[in-house]
Amino acid sequence: MRWPANTRALRALIRDPMGLMGLVLVTLFILMAVAAPILAPYDPLALDVRAKLQSPSLAHWLGTDQLGRDTLSRIIYGARTALTIALTAIGLAGSIGILLGLIAGYGPRWLDAALVLIFDALNSLPMMMFALAIITVLGPGTGTLILVVVLVSIPGYARLIRAQTLTLRSADFIVAEQAIGASTPRILLMHLLPNVFGPLCIVLSMDIPVVIMLEAGLSYLNLGVKPPTPSWGNILYDGYTAIRTSSTLVIAAGAPLVLATLGFTFLGEGLRDALDPRFTTARP
Amino acid sequence: MTQWRTDRRGFLQIAGAALAALTLPAKFAWAAEGDTLRIRATADFQCLDPKNMIGELDEIIPRCTQVALVRLGDMRDGNKWQPWGAEKIDWIDPTKIGFTLREGLQWSNGFGPVTPEDVKFSFERIAGSDSAWAYQFEKLDHVEVTDARSGIIHLKEAFAPFMVIALPYYGGNIICKAATEKVGGSYTTEAPAECGPYRFAAWEQNQKVTLTANPDWTGPQPAFATVEIYIVTDDQAAQLAFEADAFDFTKLAVSATAQIKAAMPANATLIEAQSTRYSWLVINQNAEPLKDIRVRQAIQYAYDSDAVLLGAYDGLATRSTGVVPPTSPFTRASNLIPTRDVEKAKALLAEADVSDLTLTLVALTDSTTQAIAQIFQANMAEAGITIEIQPTEDAAYWAAGDKTAGDGYKSLELALMNFAGGIDPTENLVWFRPDQIGIYNWAFFDSADFESLYQQGLTEQDEAKRKAIFNKMEDLMEASGDFIFICFEPYIAIHHSTVKPVIMADGHPDPVMFTKA
Repeated sequence: MRWPANTRALRALIRDPMGLMGLVLVTLFILMAVAAPILAPYDPLALDVRAKLQSPSLAHWLGTDQLGRDTLSRIIYGARTALTIALTAIGLAGSIGILLGLIAGYGPRWLDAALVLIFDALNSLPMMMFALAIITVLGPGTGTLILVVVLVSIPGYARLIRAQTLTLRSADFIVAEQAIGASTPRILLMHLLPNVFGPLCIVLSMDIPVVIMLEAGLSYLNLGVKPPTPSWGNILYDGYTAIRTSSTLVIAAGAPLVLATLGFTFLGEGLRDALDPRFTTARP
Repeated sequence: MTQWRTDRRGFLQIAGAALAALTLPAKFAWAAEGDTLRIRATADFQCLDPKNMIGELDEIIPRCTQVALVRLGDMRDGNKWQPWGAEKIDWIDPTKIGFTLREGLQWSNGFGPVTPEDVKFSFERIAGSDSAWAYQFEKLDHVEVTDARSGIIHLKEAFAPFMVIALPYYGGNIICKAATEKVGGSYTTEAPAECGPYRFAAWEQNQKVTLTANPDWTGPQPAFATVEIYIVTDDQAAQLAFEADAFDFTKLAVSATAQIKAAMPANATLIEAQSTRYSWLVINQNAEPLKDIRVRQAIQYAYDSDAVLLGAYDGLATRSTGVVPPTSPFTRASNLIPTRDVEKAKALLAEADVSDLTLTLVALTDSTTQAIAQIFQANMAEAGITIEIQPTEDAAYWAAGDKTAGDGYKSLELALMNFAGGIDPTENLVWFRPDQIGIYNWAFFDSADFESLYQQGLTEQDEAKRKAIFNKMEDLMEASGDFIFICFEPYIAIHHSTVKPVIMADGHPDPVMFTKA
């Protein structure tokens, strides 16, 4: 019996220990983010300065921060912040990248040249400097962070899609579609897009941890998510300021960052292995 | 044979030293060398010219390399003044101070002796100028040169605190007239002539300043031949470096107090003192949502002082009643709004027909300020006011209320501020005068009564009357709804027991007066 292609890919992913681990970790983080109001034992914003910097206890499994807020609750809600920003930003950047990449790869040469010039110009900007410049102009905040990620990610995605499109535009099935008079949007959306989407998916999943780290890094520097919104980055900063008193906060905020990064990276690599025909044909 | 210490302290020393060496390219002196004093500053200097200096290292360096007529003692000993560049200085009458310069004071770079003409030049160029320190010389009329070493400072009116406000520091530093004129009338990072116990020897930008003893100095000799000032912005890094024996003296974060007390480094002494640094919340009456005084008062009523003091200052500070320190005989007895009243806040907002109020709070990014901001945010949420915290780095922060940086200062809504205060109440109240709007009066507090009282406070000689004047000024500030007085911050520092530090009224160390214990 032959499994459908997508089911085969999933089986391949599950059979790969790293891929499975990535899938489990990512699923757990997504569940944590989605079910944060149910899972979090306390309101992550509720202050109790009399209970500041408490050690882990039955009441507060990961202790409290410098303002007496429950660390576990803030970590759980921090997953929501991290994933919301990462998925929104990557989703937006991916969508725009696909559109521009398809246009560049399938459109007239002059448009391709113009778009590539723009992609290269954006790519040439150092990411952190570019992010700091935008934050300086617009001020820190979730919206600014998403904008930064979208702007720095689009060129890479668009170039990837463009390269795939250029390869496929002279393929027989595209030429056949053109011969029977299919419209350009139909060719782009119905025939090219499904064929170029796979590689992009892998890149997108590999980029999610990069965005999570960027958000955490900027929030650590007070340039990301505004307080009191819980973010692993600002929890990490709070932990740093109190590290001489208690190391719990640093560990509590550092662990999910490491695990999320590993999870998405493993998942991305697992997906690459599962979706790449060079790997799938070599496996039973 | 070398004995490796494997205990926590030994590990900290090695790790801290390694970390410091990695993060600070400047070379630390690895052990307290008898003749070298190593202290820490939080930021590099910007300008050494007294007219344009800002604070901390800008002033600490001239304390060592320039001379002033008088010098203040440690703030913990009541800021007692003593003659310094003057061998004799005293009041002739309530508007005249006679002085005679110490014999043998010589400018570097061949500019000859320090003269009363230099004193006249130094003070009169600041009086009435746009310098932040012009207030020090507000009552200065002129300086009269009477002979090669003597002069008389003439005041416009009697002003008893002049000796401690104007003469010991900032604008009171004497500079060389000939040398300054030679470089165009002002300077920035290189003084054209020096005359102090030390000379500026080396500067590694954002890392270290080195001062060495001035061989031509004829006044009392300082205890240390060399002063190394390390620039370390982060309090935690500074604490670690101190534990690794990289400094002899450093200021610490208030939040470090409990931890450091629990594990005091060997041969170290902790300083816990009341500082003159006052902290307050600006409520800008010029910002559209805050034009109605009832809205501003609602914020005052909703503010929970106890939570802020406990959360941000570990309960080490008490609520302030104004900008005059609690240690001063002029301090106000109590606030007009003695306790929190959230219901009253809500009622005031309802009366002003304000709902869904969202305000932006500009706050520096240090942990204490951010803690205050977040507690304040929670306080306001209880009254139905949404606060958006805008963590802001130093440069952008100071531009927020600066009229020379655009019109943003007019619409700034809330800001957390703190200033190093002075000895006389007028030094702390000066920043809230109408002419400070767009400079340091970010609240647009514009009171003719306040200004009139300020002028009275400058010249009034009777202590009880002065107290009444200053208390009334603070009443006006609070009643305007433009301010919430938070506290006078505790002063926490640590030093090796082998040195005896001297801390000035502005909270910064005076390396010249440090002695060996």
